[in-house]
Parts: sequence; C-alpha cells; structure tokens
Amino acid sequence: MASVSFREVKKEFGKTRVLHGISLDIADGEFMVLVGPSGCGKSTLLRMLAGLEDISAGTIAIDGRVVNDVESKDRDIAMVFQSYALYPHMTVRDNMGFSLRLRDDKKDLIEKRVAQAAKILNLEPYLERYPRELSGGQRQRVAMGRAIVRDPKVFLFDEPLSNLDAKLRVAMRAEIKALHQRLKTTTVYVTHDQVEAMTMADRIAVMNEGRTEQLGAPLELYDRPANLFVAQFIGSPAMNVFDGVYRNGAVEALGARWPCNKKAHEGQSVKYGIRPEHLRLEAGGIPAQIEVVEPMGAETELVVKVGDARLTVLAHGRSSAGPGDRISLVPEAQNAHVFDAATGSRI
Amino acid sequence: MNKHKILKEAKLWLVAIPVLLWTLLPIYHIFLFSISSKDSAFSGALWPDKPMLHNFVVVFRQDHFYLHHFWAQIWNSLWIAVAVGVLTLVIATCAAFAISRLKVRGGRTVMNAALFTYFIPAAFLAVPMYKAMGSYGLLNSRWSLVLAMVTLASPYAIWVLKQASDKLPWELDEAARIDGATPLQLFRLVYLPLMTPSLVAIGTYALLLAWNEYLYAFLLLSHENTIPLAVGLGHFLASDDSPWELLMATALIYATPPAAIYYAFRRYMVGGLTSGAVKA
Repeated sequence: MASVSFREVKKEFGKTRVLHGISLDIADGEFMVLVGPSGCGKSTLLRMLAGLEDISAGTIAIDGRVVNDVESKDRDIAMVFQSYALYPHMTVRDNMGFSLRLRDDKKDLIEKRVAQAAKILNLEPYLERYPRELSGGQRQRVAMGRAIVRDPKVFLFDEPLSNLDAKLRVAMRAEIKALHQRLKTTTVYVTHDQVEAMTMADRIAVMNEGRTEQLGAPLELYDRPANLFVAQFIGSPAMNVFDGVYRNGAVEALGARWPCNKKAHEGQSVKYGIRPEHLRLEAGGIPAQIEVVEPMGAETELVVKVGDARLTVLAHGRSSAGPGDRISLVPEAQNAHVFDAATGSRI
Repeated sequence: MNKHKILKEAKLWLVAIPVLLWTLLPIYHIFLFSISSKDSAFSGALWPDKPMLHNFVVVFRQDHFYLHHFWAQIWNSLWIAVAVGVLTLVIATCAAFAISRLKVRGGRTVMNAALFTYFIPAAFLAVPMYKAMGSYGLLNSRWSLVLAMVTLASPYAIWVLKQASDKLPWELDEAARIDGATPLQLFRLVYLPLMTPSLVAIGTYALLLAWNEYLYAFLLLSHENTIPLAVGLGHFLASDDSPWELLMATALIYATPPAAIYYAFRRYMVGGLTSGAVKA
C-alpha cells in the first residue's frame, strides 16, 4: 500500500500538450477515480503513472519515491486494461501467475497466491481454461486476478468495464468496490462514466482538456460543483443550466425569476443551474409545459418547456401528467447553483 | 438448386477443369515416366503395359552414372533448405520484433529497404553474389548457397512477419511490461507463442524456396558432393541419351517433401502468407 502524488505533471505529444500541469495527491488506501470526457488526458495520466508513457515535465511519486525514471516493472503497480490484455496462449492459472513467474517466485508460492486470488474472484472452476473460453465478465475478473496476485502498492484500472454490457457493468462495479474494501490497496481508476465515478470513488478528480477541474468526494462534487463543466458532467440526468441576469437576490431568466441564495453583482450575467430533482412540481411557481414523460417506476423524468428552453424535472413516484399538460415549477433556492457567465466558475 | 446457381457452378467448372488439367498433366507425365521401363517411356500410352517400381530401386541404390551421389545430394538439399528456413526465421523474427514491438529507430527505413529489394530480380544479383561468395572463399561450400538464399528470402519474411506482429494487441506488451517482463522475456514468453502460425508459414516459405532453388545452386556450387539434388537433376540432361525414366523417378522423389510439408502446414500457409496483405 502506498500514497501516490503527481506534481505539476505535464505531457506533450510532439507539439500538442495534453496535460497542463496536474497536481494530485492520492492517500494510502484511497480509491481515486479520474473521470472526464474522452481526450481529457485521464488515461494518459494513468499510463504515465504506470510507466507506459514518458513524463514531459513534473514528477510522479509512489510512496514518496519519485518514479519518473523507474521502469514499469520496478514501480510495484498492477494494471487492468480496458481490453483485459490477457495472454491468449496461457491458461487462466498461467495468466494470473505470470508476473510471479517472471519474478522467479517459488512454484508453491505462485500456486498459493493464484489459488487465493481465484477464490476471492470466484475463478476456481476456470483455472485451466484459456481466455477465449471465458465470457467478458470472467475475463475481466482474470485481469483483476492477475493484478491482485502480485499484491502491488497501487492498482491501476483503465476503463475496465467499458467492454461489458450494462448489467454486468453494474455487477462488476460492486465487485471492484468490494475488492477494494477487502484489500485496501491504493487504487487509481480511470473512467468516462460519471456514474461509475460517483458510485466507486472515495474521491474523484474531474478532468477536462488536460486540467483537473475539481477534486473532491463524490457528493461534494455533486452538491458544490466548482464550475459549469463539473456541474454538467456530474449527475444523471444532467443539471439544467441556462443564461440569466442576477437581480435582487434572484436570477431573471426564461421570462421568470429563479430563486437562489447566492450573492452576485446586481445586473451580472450568470448561468443558473438546477438539478432535475430540485425542481418541485408545486402550484404558484414558474409555469411550464410538459413535452415528454419518461416513467421509470420509482421516479418519473419529465422534459418540460419553460420559455424556449427545455428542462428536465425528476419527480418522485409516478406522475399522472401527460404531454401538453401545463404545470408549475418551484426551484429549491438552497440547491440552486449560480455560475459566472464569462468564466463558468461557481459564485 | 435454381437455374441461376447451376449456371454459375457450371461456369466455375468450365474454368476449374482446364486449370486442373493444365497443372496435373505434367505431374502425371512425371509419374508415368517414373513407373515405365526405358523402352516404353516414350511409347505415348496413357498407362504403361507393365508398370514397375524398378526405377525407384535404381535411384535408391544409386545404380546409375548420374545417380552416384543421390543420397549425398538429397542430404545437401535438405541441409540447405533447413538451414535457410531456420536462419531466415531467426533473422526475420528478430527484425520484426524489434521494428514492430520495440519500435527501434530506423525501423521504417529497414521496412522500405526490404520492399525496395523486390525491384531487383534475383537473377540480376546472381553475378554480384557469386563475386561476393568468391571473395569470402565460400564458393563450393553449402554455406554460400545458404547465405545467398537467406539474403533473398529475408526481406519478404521480415515484411510479412512485421505485418503479422503489428496485429498483436499492443496492450499485451504493456501488460507484460507491467508484469515485469524484460524485452527478451516478452519475446520468448509472449511474442513467439502468439506468432507461431506466421512463423510456421514463413519458415516453410524459406525452406521451400531453398529446396526448389536451381540458379544460385548451379552457380555457387559445382562439386558433385556439394550440389543439391536440383542441380544433380540438371546433370541428367548433359548427355544426348538421358535416362528419362530415372530422371523422372528422381524428380518425383524430390517433389514429395515439399508437397508433404505444404500439405501438413496448409492451414498456416494460407493464413500466414495472406496475413498483412490487407489491413484488417
């Protein structure tokens, strides 16, 4: 187990700079998720930590030791790839024991470690099979098994669930989380899926265009997004955001006054953000017209039109309303977010 | 089957039958000669009156002036072919691994150079090769032919193996690196096993190329005891009264190993030689 720290880490591919100085400290035993849209540099950052990419500037340290010039194999890390990257010509047993074999560990020790990992991951019946004879979920588990037999200082996951179907993804998400709770190994997990990030992380680093936009616990990001990017990236369904002008303690937008308890300059151009579950369907509020009703059982998602903007409203329980119905929305002022229109940062 | 399908099938047969006959007729001819007596060989019959295996007995017993070195020559052929196959494989595999997986500097140049050698016909290189082997003092040594054939086979072998290894997922190398593999371990434990089909194909290609070679063998080797059987067969035609039935029997024996090898590895040959032909 170990801490990981990035100090002003930069990466250039030729003249293109993909990381603009990332600084990030990951505590011992922490589950850190790097999340962001594709091309934001999250995988590159992970690969630099793994030693698969050179570091253009800055330092990366594992357990206090700078590893910039240390080879992958000497960094004591294990990585799970999106494509699993299992050795096709080796059985599950050999795949899992490969790193130990390279380390010249004793046969019975390898046997023991593989057996342990197989037990944790329910892979015991498949040890003699080849990767091609396994399902996607089983392959994923073998890839994880290969990582845990080494008992590394840090686990690295690079979009490990992207190749699985939706149901399996949810199951594996829970398995990875359970595994982390059991082993308590420092983990860096890269994903583009904010739901994965929210559900698994101790802390999330939201990345965009080679920079960290915000770093914090999942609910902290959800409740207090530092800027528009994080606000719109985190949360499903996404936050409603529209332009307005701050006047008299509220935001004037879409022909109505939207309450908030933030202070901005009088007449300042702002963006008003409100999450779908913070718009209540109550009388005496802002008039809206329902366009689409999406019943999901426990809750109902409504797409409504206010002025010429489309907003999403999440109502608990079921709704008898239908398309075309006129309703009234009451925004929860304490849960409204206001962002500077020019910079996008939180007010 | 509907009418359209029958018509299409018939057209295919119309092409296939002549091609098949065209290919098999000479082989049948060889076979016919090899089981005929000297007198009946040129009779023009489709099947000899008294088919016999006597010719093969003569060949195996080296019981004829042209056949005195039969076993030595077939051994030369085998020795040279296997050496060319193995050496080409070693060179091409290492080159492909270095260029494709280790991404060494200048890899592209090597690939382009390899392709460029195909603009020059092998026959053009025969005289320079002869000169070169002469200055190395290798003339009349089996090694001269081995080295020449490896030179001719390697560029193509490198090209095909490089294309094939480009198709191996890059993550495997990365996974192996993280697992702690050195480049040599990566080569031995991951790369070689996964490349086996292509390696078999290329090894067979080089082996058969050397086995079938005549021109270079004829030029570089001249002693009865060092020439491969291909050149030995050519000697049959030195006199006006060639023992055709023995020549054909020997030819049939000479043609058997390549056919057997090709048959045994046909699965790899088709897959291996076309791999890298198109971008998958």
